[in-house]
Amino acid sequence: MKVESRVPAHTRLRHVVEFHDGPADQLARAVAFARATVRRGEQLAVAVPPLVEKAVFDAVGHAGVVALTSPYGASGGSGQTTGATWARELRSLVQSDAGVTMLCGHDPAHDGVDGGYWTELDAALNVSLADLPVELVCLYPVWPLHLEVLEGARVNHPYVLAGGTLTENPEHRCPLEVLRGRERAAPLVLGPPDVTYRYNSWQLHEVRRLVARLAPALGFDAVRSEDLVLAVNEIATNAVEHGAPQAEIQLWATAGGLVCEVHDTGDLDEPLPGLTAPHPAEPRGRGVWIARQLCDLLHVWQDPAGTHVRLHATP
Amino acid sequence: MSVRAAEDLASGDHACAVPVSDEQLWELTARFLSGGLRRNEKVVYFDDGTSEQVLERLTEDRMPVAATLRSGQLQVVPADVTRGAFRSPVADVRALLHSYVDGSVAQGWSGFRMTGQLSYGADAPAGIPMTAYDAALDDVVRERRFTALCLYDHGHYSQDQIERMRAAHREELSAPAAYDDGLLRITHTGVTAVRLAGEADHSNRPVIHKLITDTLDRALRSADAPTDIELNLASLRFLDVAGAVALVHAAEEFPSSHRLVLGDVRPAVQRVLDRCGAPFATQLVVREARQPPGRLPEVADEPHGPRERRLAEAGPADAEPEVRRPGTTGPDEAGPDAVRERPWAGVTDDDPHREPAAEGAAG
Repeated sequence: MKVESRVPAHTRLRHVVEFHDGPADQLARAVAFARATVRRGEQLAVAVPPLVEKAVFDAVGHAGVVALTSPYGASGGSGQTTGATWARELRSLVQSDAGVTMLCGHDPAHDGVDGGYWTELDAALNVSLADLPVELVCLYPVWPLHLEVLEGARVNHPYVLAGGTLTENPEHRCPLEVLRGRERAAPLVLGPPDVTYRYNSWQLHEVRRLVARLAPALGFDAVRSEDLVLAVNEIATNAVEHGAPQAEIQLWATAGGLVCEVHDTGDLDEPLPGLTAPHPAEPRGRGVWIARQLCDLLHVWQDPAGTHVRLHATP
Repeated sequence: MSVRAAEDLASGDHACAVPVSDEQLWELTARFLSGGLRRNEKVVYFDDGTSEQVLERLTEDRMPVAATLRSGQLQVVPADVTRGAFRSPVADVRALLHSYVDGSVAQGWSGFRMTGQLSYGADAPAGIPMTAYDAALDDVVRERRFTALCLYDHGHYSQDQIERMRAAHREELSAPAAYDDGLLRITHTGVTAVRLAGEADHSNRPVIHKLITDTLDRALRSADAPTDIELNLASLRFLDVAGAVALVHAAEEFPSSHRLVLGDVRPAVQRVLDRCGAPFATQLVVREARQPPGRLPEVADEPHGPRERRLAEAGPADAEPEVRRPGTTGPDEAGPDAVRERPWAGVTDDDPHREPAAEGAAG
């Protein structure tokens, strides 16, 4: 599987980390930050733990402040999915305004087994927000439960804010370097799939047929069904185009929509596929990007067996 | 054997065709039926699980499917009747054919033509070989001067059966395609006009690019050729992202004198094109399908006339042979309204581009 995770040469995102001593300190810093932002008349987007979010809204009201979608349910646990979702939401805010200031607060509820979610999220944001005029400040604990959270925060942020002073972060690394050698978590294991199908390049129409047959029964309307068929087709195509001649697709029909996994034995050149829209002149890489726009979750990971993609869509 | 197009068959013709793909099966069927509708004939399709695709293709070809079904000009014979015919004595089928012709004459249609999915008869469910039914059909076609097209597709017939039926026919149609891989079928409909039917994905990706460059080359080489390269996508049901990107790129690389025009684009394909930058390509024109396919009237499941009912109930081979005098009863499915109403006559001129595929290929 060959896909895009470049950071554009000209980065408009300013990605800053600020460390705090614990939940109370995080809340106080968040409220102070929100007050200052709103006072300057800037558009503020927040993605913080629920208690902090309530305190922020209590302090500055709802005018000019937007809470971004927080990862939940089957869509949770995938930093790259959250990174893609926020990019989509921020892009719509930026269109109506000059720029956006965003406050992100670490929430241990999303740590998962090892805290790797946050490392992937920040690396993904460096890619997906790169071309947006966004000032992003992330509040991270100095003493997290999982050390990975701290280590990830140290390498993902090009700037550190300490004592009101912004300095460049000498430890900052680009997403490729950050994710190299870090095993990105596989999503939670599901039960046995409802459908398993091995296919090659000439059987993609069978893959589409499987999805087209399942989708309406799960409550997807005609248009969503067609979009879902397209999303799965692009992921399935990628697997046989860049991976191995054969790949496997698994489908789960759940009460919460369709879950699909595609497995191939190929290597992944770029760890965060489809986070940016490829340049129009670039013939490749658009399929995964479009699939991300059409699904609630699209998580790509790798292990010695090959490359894996999970996709989840709700009607 | 001569080569003609399906829509050119006229009264007294009884031809066969062996489509290489499902897309060609729908194409041939629709063109044959359209030819009859245009000639103001009564047009009958013997269904066996295939009418949905045939009606869809007719709609994509911009034929007034709903109106002609309503008026009774176009009739879909239910599958149990189709199958029942092959469990009935040949004489009964002969009588049924006569009654159809009589009915169409009584209702004032200019003729009668029929085709269908008749593969149920290939295994001789009543012990009567299919060639016997075909011989009877041939007799009645000659006697009553109507038109019949027998389709033997690889999906429903074995190679042996196909060869046997082929040998029994005087004429075989062929509709040459520029490309047909079973998933995607491409036919030339003019010097710079092409029609795509089926699905375009990774497996046939190089074809589209080559098709466009070849067509553009043809247009550039001949001085009086149109400057629009037209791709009719009415029957293109799926286009993947790379295919959409290829179309957008192709248009961007056109010389400024030429445009790439995508016609009758289905909504799903339109959405893919939109997401791949089609709106920003100045030399790409995307025209939506006027009537989104897929909302066709329900075809009646019930057998229409008493004779059809009898065939639908036809038991196994030992059913008592009952010989009827041909022509005593006609199908009673279409009331007097059908005689008065000639919807087709009123719509022939409303759209000069109604049937580009058939017109182009016929020339």
